[in-house]
Amino acid sequence: MKKEIPLIITFISGFLLIIAFFVPHEPFGSLEQRFNDWFIIVSGFTLILGVDSLLLYHYKKIKRKEKDAPYSLILIISFVIVLFWGIYSGVKHGNPFAPTSTFLRYFYTYVFVPLQATMFALLAFFISSAAYRAFRARTLNATLLLLSAGIVMLGRVPMGEETVPYFTGITLILISVIFALEGFKRVNPLEKTFFLSMAVLSILLIFPLSAFLKRHLTEITNWIMNTPQLGAKRGLFIGISLGAIAMSVRIILGIERTYLK
Amino acid sequence: MKNFFEKIAKIDRRIVYLLIFLGVTIPLITKKGFKFEPLQEVKKAYDFIESLPEGSVILISIDYDAASMPELQPLLEVVLRHLFSNNLKVLMMGHWPLGLPLGQIALEKIAKEMNKKYGYDYVFLGYRPGVAAVILNMGKEIRTVFNTDYKGTPIDSLEMMRGIHNYSDIALLIGFEAGATGDFWVQFGQARFGLKIILTSTAVITPDLYPYYQAGQIVGLIGGLRGAADYEILVKRKGFAYSGMTAQTIIHIIIIILILLGNIGYFALRRLK
Repeated sequence: MKKEIPLIITFISGFLLIIAFFVPHEPFGSLEQRFNDWFIIVSGFTLILGVDSLLLYHYKKIKRKEKDAPYSLILIISFVIVLFWGIYSGVKHGNPFAPTSTFLRYFYTYVFVPLQATMFALLAFFISSAAYRAFRARTLNATLLLLSAGIVMLGRVPMGEETVPYFTGITLILISVIFALEGFKRVNPLEKTFFLSMAVLSILLIFPLSAFLKRHLTEITNWIMNTPQLGAKRGLFIGISLGAIAMSVRIILGIERTYLK
Repeated sequence: MKNFFEKIAKIDRRIVYLLIFLGVTIPLITKKGFKFEPLQEVKKAYDFIESLPEGSVILISIDYDAASMPELQPLLEVVLRHLFSNNLKVLMMGHWPLGLPLGQIALEKIAKEMNKKYGYDYVFLGYRPGVAAVILNMGKEIRTVFNTDYKGTPIDSLEMMRGIHNYSDIALLIGFEAGATGDFWVQFGQARFGLKIILTSTAVITPDLYPYYQAGQIVGLIGGLRGAADYEILVKRKGFAYSGMTAQTIIHIIIIILILLGNIGYFALRRLK
């Protein structure tokens, strides 16, 4: 019965909500509203479960005297301070976030906000360093990704049109050098001619391509964002939605039971 | 020669960090700005707000927290100033409890600056858990979710709230998004109830919202610091977002230069091996 009761509740709830969506008349009409009310109440209680699980996890770490136990102790002390400060401000000012509350003025504004913003700001350094290390034109796909990323990055900032000719020039010189070196290495005359011609072509393209990109950078950026980017996103969204529908049907019918574990 | 290419292929991360630090701080200190044209999706958002008659109610949803403050907080202040100067009424709520006080701080600051009165020109509802259920229930009757404001005052006792029951009484929703909550607003608020929506978002999630804009499900999209800067230009009040764009431009250029150097080093080393 431990498994059967949740399965029956899931089946009845899911089935009734599907009927309520298509049949807006009573007794189904107000069902969705009622279920949503229950959902909001249950969601509130999940917070308590989260707190319980967090505190228990860190309490066990302290009890076992694990390596990171001091951090767990800091977490629990901070939790208690914030909780009681919040309750105190709530009682004194009617709401911990009332404009006169010290909880809002000191803790939230001068401790919580700067800490969270600092943590996120560090990402700028990591992402820049990661982009420098990872963005290598190793394969055709990586090269395409690199070029479109470069165009969008320049196309979305004010000085993009002014700087794009320089980057185009440097990139084409780099491509030309790669082709030339490859050409010199080849023994087959046909291959040699092909690579050396490509090297010359890259050099010849520097001025026309730079001028073209300078003139049409915004249009190209918008095209990348609105066509290939959107196409891929739509495909992903449709796939995710179909997957969600399939998973919901499996859960309602009791085929998918991992949530019971 | 090999040593040189090795150096540019593996620049010390501390040098990268220093370049990024200088690239962000110097433009923010000097406050030098570049000229640029606002994006079309931002113009559409601005034009829609301009077209609303005085007294229309705008619902603002705070769906971000302090991590996304640099991108969204300056925009929130500019949007609030624009709404109040057009004599539009503001109803604020949010699905991110830890970020909601940021909305409250901005709302109280701008309302005070524009001489607006709580309960008449603006109301702060607060937070209720259950994102999708909250959006769905508000479409039928706001009081089923928020029967009081954040201070516990019954919303029926607030002058502004008397005629507001569901989305048919709300002219526009402006969602400030740093995650997937914007999807819920579109999927439930717009698709089920025909709510007019403008989404403003951090740059990282803006590409996810373009399908909604292109399909006409949202009337405007203000994405990232660029969107905020565009909006500042449109309301003719250049602020933090506008000067932030200089920093962003320089950072983008630094990253592209680093990527180019990395690739030059990579190909040269591969050739030398």
